[in-house]
Amino acid sequence: MDATKPANRDHALYMLDLNVTYVLAGANIAFEVFDGDVIVLDMDNGKYYSFSDGGSAAWMALVAGVAPRDMIGSSSHGEALPGFVERLRDHGLIETKPGLAPAPLGPDVIAALSGAKEVPDFTVFDDMADLFVADPIHDVEEPHGWPVVKQA
Amino acid sequence: MARRETGVAPTTPSTMWHVEAISPATIASYGRHLLELASATPDRLLSVIDIALPGLDLRVRMPEGQLADAVRTAFVQSGRRAQEPSRTIVVTVLYPGIGATPDPLEWGNERYMPHEISGLLSQAGMQGSLFHDLRFWQFYDLAAGQGVQLMADAGGFPPWEPGAPLRAFLHWAYAAQGRRMTHAGSLGLNGRGVLLAGAGGAGKSGTVLAGLLGGLSSVGDDYVLVDLSAGGATAHPIFTTLKQDDRGARRLKLDRLLGPRDLNWQGKVQFRTTDIQADIAGEGLSIDAIMLPRVGADATTIRIASRSEAMLALAPSAVYQMPGERESGFRFFCRLVSMLPAYRLDLGPDPKEIAESVSRFIRGLSS
Repeated sequence: MDATKPANRDHALYMLDLNVTYVLAGANIAFEVFDGDVIVLDMDNGKYYSFSDGGSAAWMALVAGVAPRDMIGSSSHGEALPGFVERLRDHGLIETKPGLAPAPLGPDVIAALSGAKEVPDFTVFDDMADLFVADPIHDVEEPHGWPVVKQA
Repeated sequence: MARRETGVAPTTPSTMWHVEAISPATIASYGRHLLELASATPDRLLSVIDIALPGLDLRVRMPEGQLADAVRTAFVQSGRRAQEPSRTIVVTVLYPGIGATPDPLEWGNERYMPHEISGLLSQAGMQGSLFHDLRFWQFYDLAAGQGVQLMADAGGFPPWEPGAPLRAFLHWAYAAQGRRMTHAGSLGLNGRGVLLAGAGGAGKSGTVLAGLLGGLSSVGDDYVLVDLSAGGATAHPIFTTLKQDDRGARRLKLDRLLGPRDLNWQGKVQFRTTDIQADIAGEGLSIDAIMLPRVGADATTIRIASRSEAMLALAPSAVYQMPGERESGFRFFCRLVSMLPAYRLDLGPDPKEIAESVSRFIRGLSS
């Protein structure tokens, strides 16, 4: 089981705090924006994330310090934002930053959130992740060796 | 059954080795020990092969044999200008029987996590890697520009090594210069060209071969050196190796050019650029676009792709090929993608049509 996934999804959503500031969950989370499209790399596990335009807008707002609560009214897909933030948190990409006051919602952020055509979402690319985190000595099938990863 | 060896360094008291297997706690010391051993091994026991690469003078000290033959033929000698700055690196290849070289030690029971190992070595000013099945060790001292490759015997190298020998050392040396060995193909015309990015099976090599046979030039079908230092992107040739799967080889009628060939470890036909008189752009290509090939179309077409598509095609293979430099690799390829337009290249079955389409496209970019 994925340790980042809560056992009870509804409980986790209830526990999600929409009023606080979120930040990147560590120095091993890197991201870049290409013509408005966000790509995130988790260097701990080798997963890549490609974001929809709504997801890109929400991500940029989150990393600018805007609290999710403040985005909902401005987003063209506000109802989907809590679930999106929850998924980001569950994938270990963001974490709360207690004591850091949320940033105000600026006009650029509002324009990006309200202009998004797609629901806030992301695609996970984990095809390389097994190799990234595998131990090439102890996690391989004997006849084949690295890089054939042993099946669980 | 793997053997357990006790390594005892014969050189200096400071490098005495009495361990049975390497662990995260000892790998940096082991790397330093092997680098000292390489330095202490005299030239008279080895052949010395000098290779001029872009921005790098590579001196390889190694025993004669299959791998030395591969090193002599696997590299494109650089056509660089005399005033271009260059760094000398020296890589020594050893196995037991060469001087005082001991048997390579094996990894112990602790988990071997390549990126954690890379971090440990980086703290000691080194990079390194291990192909465990063969106890094939590579260590590189970044400041000194010295590397050592220790094998269990003359044939104790992975099957891909002759096709792209010493690739890890080149990766580490070029990364230290801010350049990157890049998992991509390339095609060009009159000094300008495109990078072809994508996962294995996307059609990179087949597109490069179709282009070469159709009159285009290239700086490589699999690994090229990318440099962003001159304000734009340039790509340079490193390896002379080309390869193609059996189906692609039949489509390209390679047997007429090459005759019957054994397949390599990937089940592909492997050959050198000289075997097909390929036009290799020795001074490099100025890169104007990233193309994302994809096999399976009825006809070859080119259309605009998003930069995020290009990043997703380019970065995973580039970042994960070698241990170390994860974030700098990510940032390098982000910069590359930001500088260039991206296009989807849907590949039809006709190699001639592919070459003509790419040729027209490159001419259009240059005009």
